[in-house]
Amino acid sequence: MTAQETREPGRPVAARWPGGRPRPVLGTLAVLGLAGYAWVASGLPPFSGRALVGVLIPGAAVGLMAYGRPPERIPAPERLDLTGFSYWAICVAALLEWEASAFRDNSLSWHPSLTALIDPLIQPHPVRGAAFLVWLLAGWALVRR
Amino acid sequence: MITRIITIVGFTAAIAAMFTLEFMGRRGSSRIPTAGQWLGYLMRSRAGRALVLLGWWWLGWHYFAR
Repeated sequence: MTAQETREPGRPVAARWPGGRPRPVLGTLAVLGLAGYAWVASGLPPFSGRALVGVLIPGAAVGLMAYGRPPERIPAPERLDLTGFSYWAICVAALLEWEASAFRDNSLSWHPSLTALIDPLIQPHPVRGAAFLVWLLAGWALVRR
Repeated sequence: MITRIITIVGFTAAIAAMFTLEFMGRRGSSRIPTAGQWLGYLMRSRAGRALVLLGWWWLGWHYFAR
């Protein structure tokens, strides 16, 4: 019986590339590389072609990994508890509705959108870089699912 | 001004509720799935995977490229 079969569903055994053993040094270097990329890409001027390329490259990389050569994946659950999932659905729907109503009201000072609230918070370069790194790591986490 | 505060409280409440659900989902006996579990479930199909990854990419484009 392999580790893949004995693991608790939905829980990873260890971060590893397909068929390999855990490589903490390689993992640390990868995170440092991603942090460097996040720092550079988050410093590019908004609404510029370079900023667009800065997010296109990770998008393409994640797409290639997801469909071309995926890492060892954490097995998805066979089924979801409908009641349990409904709590998530309610929260996501509430967030989207709240955001949509901000656009409908068209008054960002009275009813700001989430973007209007978050943008000023991530303006400082270190914060923006950290947020970019979180986005990159989220992409990696999705590839592993 | 009060509507702005209500808006911010609404966003904060929705996001805090999601963190709470994630925390509850990580308890062993919980029926609530973690975000990773339900996203993984949605990504079982190729179309679902494409939609989830597209949503992830859109977030990055929205916040970091514009």
